[in-house]
Amino acid sequence: MQNESTYVLLADDDEDDRLFFKEAFEAIRIKTIVKTVKDGVELLNHLAVNRNKLPHILFLDLNMPFKSGMECLMEIRKTDYLKHIAIAIYSTSASEQDIEDAFINGANVYIKKPHDFDTLRKLLEKVVTINGHYQSSGLNRDGFLLSL
Amino acid sequence: MSKYSIFLKIIFVISLFILLFISSISYKHANSLDASAELLSHSYKVQIQLEQIQQLVTDAETGQRGYIITHDSAFLTPYFNGRSQVAKSFATLKNLTANQPYLQDDVEELEKLIDLRFSRLSNSLLVFSGPQMAELLARNMLSGNKLMNDIHSKINQIKDLEKANFNNHQIKYKQEILFTPFITLVLLLFTLFVFILSFIRINKDLTKLRKSNDKLLISAEAIKQAEIIGEFCISIWNLKTNKLTYSDNLYRLLGCEPQSFEATIDNFLKFVHIDDRQIITTGVQDLLQKHETYSRFYRIIRNDGQERFFKSTGKFVENIGYSTHISVIKDVTQVHIDNLILEKKNRELELSNKELASFNQIASHDLQEPLRKIQTFISLIAEREMSTMSDSCQNYFYRIETSVDRMRKLIDDLLLFSRTSKIDKIFEESDLNQLLKNTLLELSEEIDQQNVHIECALLPALRVIPFQIEQLFKNLISNSLKYKKQHSEQIIKIECEKVITKTTPILNIASDSTYYKITVTDNGLGFEQQYAEQIFTIFKRLHSSDQYPGTGIGLSICKKIVENHSGFIFAEGKSGIGAIFTIFLPAD
Amino acid sequence: MRFIIQIDINIVGKKLLQEHLERLQLNYILKSNSEVEIAETISCDKLEELTLGLSNYGIEIIENNKDILIQKIKDAIIEFVYLDEELDIRTNISTYLSEKLNYRYSYLANLFSSTTFTSIENFTQLQKTERAKHLMINSKLNCSEICWKLNYSSLAHFSRQFKKVTGLSPTTFKRIIKKMRVANTEELDIEAGE
Repeated sequence: MQNESTYVLLADDDEDDRLFFKEAFEAIRIKTIVKTVKDGVELLNHLAVNRNKLPHILFLDLNMPFKSGMECLMEIRKTDYLKHIAIAIYSTSASEQDIEDAFINGANVYIKKPHDFDTLRKLLEKVVTINGHYQSSGLNRDGFLLSL
Repeated sequence: MSKYSIFLKIIFVISLFILLFISSISYKHANSLDASAELLSHSYKVQIQLEQIQQLVTDAETGQRGYIITHDSAFLTPYFNGRSQVAKSFATLKNLTANQPYLQDDVEELEKLIDLRFSRLSNSLLVFSGPQMAELLARNMLSGNKLMNDIHSKINQIKDLEKANFNNHQIKYKQEILFTPFITLVLLLFTLFVFILSFIRINKDLTKLRKSNDKLLISAEAIKQAEIIGEFCISIWNLKTNKLTYSDNLYRLLGCEPQSFEATIDNFLKFVHIDDRQIITTGVQDLLQKHETYSRFYRIIRNDGQERFFKSTGKFVENIGYSTHISVIKDVTQVHIDNLILEKKNRELELSNKELASFNQIASHDLQEPLRKIQTFISLIAEREMSTMSDSCQNYFYRIETSVDRMRKLIDDLLLFSRTSKIDKIFEESDLNQLLKNTLLELSEEIDQQNVHIECALLPALRVIPFQIEQLFKNLISNSLKYKKQHSEQIIKIECEKVITKTTPILNIASDSTYYKITVTDNGLGFEQQYAEQIFTIFKRLHSSDQYPGTGIGLSICKKIVENHSGFIFAEGKSGIGAIFTIFLPAD
Repeated sequence: MRFIIQIDINIVGKKLLQEHLERLQLNYILKSNSEVEIAETISCDKLEELTLGLSNYGIEIIENNKDILIQKIKDAIIEFVYLDEELDIRTNISTYLSEKLNYRYSYLANLFSSTTFTSIENFTQLQKTERAKHLMINSKLNCSEICWKLNYSSLAHFSRQFKKVTGLSPTTFKRIIKKMRVANTEELDIEAGE
C-alpha cells in the first residue's frame, strides 16, 4: 500500500479540461497531488528540471500546440529516467487507430474524455487504483494497457 | 490465279500453233488444186494439138485421094494448108511438152513420120502425073496407109502417155487430199472445244469480276460516306512504288478541298503541330525500318487555324512481293475534349467530396468539444450545487441536460454518418458470422439486461468493409432491442439466403446476378408499412423523443452502408406484430 | 539481438532482501515470499536504513496489521488465479479466501475495499486478466486455450471480462502487442545499424 500520495501530472492546453481534471481528483478518495502544464514543451522542461520528483502517472492530451501528445509520448519513452512513468493519453478522439497508435507508442492508458463529471471522476480513480496495483503488486508493466 | 493465267497462256499458244498449222495445210492444198487444174488443161491442150495434127494429116490424105480420084485441084488445098498448119501445131506441141522429156522423143518421131507422110503424099502426086501411075500409086497408097497407121498409133501412144501421166498425178493428189482434211477436222474440233471452254470460263470470270467490281464500287462509296460521318480518313501507302494515297476525307479533315495537294508525308506534316511533328517522323521511320506500326496521338492545325486532335492506327497488308500500309486517322478532338472535361469534373467532384467529408468530420468533431464541456460543467454543477438551487432552477437544469444530451447524440450520429463513406475504405474478405459475433459482444450488456433471444443463421464470407457491416448489424439489432414490446420476450431472428435477381422482383435488376439475402426479423412493436421507405430518411422518426430516444440517423447509416457495398435494404413492418429488415448484398 | 525475458519477481525480491539483510548483518529467516523474521530487534536507524534501501527497489516494509492482512488477501488472490489445477467450478474466491485466511469473507471484502478502494472481485478480475495478458504476451496459447486455462465458462465470457477490465478486446490487445514488438525490433535494428 502506498502511504504517500500519488503524484499525477496533466499536460493539456485547454483551461476547462485542466479545471475538470483538478476538480475530479479532489473528489477521489485516494490521496493525490495534482499538477498541470499547458503544452508539450512546458511538460518536457518540467520533467527535465524535476528529475527527483517525477509523477507517478502522466496524463497527456493529444492535441497540443508546439508538441503533440503523441510526440511527447514517444520522446518520453525514449528517455531513460522517464521510462518507468505510467502514461495515460487523455483525449477527445476515440478512433481505434488513435488508441492503437497510442498503445503501440508506449502509452499505458488511453482515456477518452467523458461527457460528464461523475464518469470522469470514476475513471480517474480507476486509473490511479490500477496504477497502484501495478506498482505494489508486482504486475508486469508490459501488459499495462487500459482503455477507458 | 497465277496458275490460271499460265494455263490460259499455254492454251492460247497451242491454239495459235494449231491455227498456223491448219492455215499452212490449207495453203498447200490450194496450190495442189491449182497445179492439178493446170495439168489438166495442159493435157487437154496436148490432146487437142495431137488431134489437130492427126486431122490435118488425114485431111491432107483425104485431099490427096480426092485429087487422085477427081483430078480436082480443089482437093489439094487441105494438102497444102495441112503442111504449114502441121508445122504450126508441132511448134505449139513442142512448146507444150517442153517440160515433158519423156514425150519429146515420141514427138520427134511423130514429126518424122508426118514429114515422111507428107513426102509420100507429094510423091504420090508426082507419080500421079507420071506413066506408072496405077502401080506406083497403089504402092504409095499402101505405104501411105501404113504410115498413117503408124502415125495414128504414135499419136495414140503420146495420148496414152499423157493420160497416164495425168492419171498418176491425180492419184497422188487424191491421196494427199484424203488424209489431211481428216486430221485438220479433228484439230479444228479440238481447238473449237478448247475455245468454247475458255470462252465459258472467261465469261464466268468476267461476270464475277463485274459483280466484284460492283461490290467494290458500293464499298468504296460506303467507306467514303463512313469516313465523313465517322470523322475519320484513310491513307494508303504502297511501299513498293512508294505511292501514297489519301482519301478525300483526309483533305476535308484538314480543312482543304479533296485532293487539293499532292499526297506526301511532308505535305501532311505541314498541318501537324510543330511540337508533335517528331511523333509522325518517328512513326514513319519505324514503319520503314522496323516494319512496325502502332497508334499515335497528335495535334493538327487545320487550314482555318483551328487545333484538332488526331489519332492514327496502322496495319500492314501483305500482297505478293510488296506490302501496303493502311493507316486510319480519326479526328478525336471532341472525344478528347470531353474526356478532359470529364476528368476535370471527376477531380473536382473528388475534391469536393473529400472536402465535404473532412468538413463533416471536422465540424462534428469540433462541435463535440464545447458540447462535452457544457455537459461536464452541467454535471459538475448538478453534483455540487443542485441542492442549493430552487425547484424551478433544477427543472430548467434538467431540461438543459436533456437537450444537450440529445444534441451530443445527434452530433455523434452525424459524425458516424459522415464517416460512412466508401472513399479510402478497404474492402476485405470477411466472415460475416464473426462480424455479427463482434456486434453481439458489443451489445452484450444491453442484450443481457433485456428479455431477448437472438437466433443467428449461418452467414457467408464476403468482401466488405468490416467495421461498417458491424455498424449495420449494431444499428439494426439495437433498433430491435429499442422497439420491443414490454413484458414479452423479444425474439430476433437473423437469417440468410442466396437468391438470383431473376426470381427476386423487388430488386428490379435486369442483369443476371446472385445476391445474399439477409433478414433481421423481430416480434417487437413494428411499424406501419406505409412508412417503410421513409424510415431510411435521415432524421425521420416515427416516434417522439419522449417515447423512444433516438436521432433518426441510425437507419440512414444502415442504408448508406448497404449502398456502399452495392446492395439494397428494405423494411417491412406490421404495427404491433414486428418488423423485418431485408438486406441484399452482392455475392461477388 | 533481441531477447524476451521472464522475470520471476519472487526470486529477485528474495535475493535483494537477502543482500540487504546480510549487508546489515542481520540474522533473518524468510518465512514466505512476503514475510521476514529477524531474530533480534533492530534499531530505528538500521530499520530506517533497511526501509530506505529496500524502498529503492520498490520493496516496502508494511507495518500495521491491516496492511498485512490486505497484502495477504492480495497474495491469496494471486495464488488463486495462478493455480493450475482444475478447481472445482464451485470454488470461488470468497470460499477460497475465507478458508485460507480464516476470516469471514464479508469482513475481508469490507476491509479490502475500504483500504484499497477496489473490491476483491475487481482485484481478482484484474489479476486474472493480468495472467491472461501474461499468457498472451509470453506463450503461444491462443485465446480459447487461455480461456480454458483460466476457468472461464466461455470464450465470450472471457472476452467480455477482458474488455471490461482493460477496455480492449483480447484480439485488439494481441494485435497491439504484436505491433509493439515489431516497432521495438525496428528500433533495435536501427540502433544496431548505427
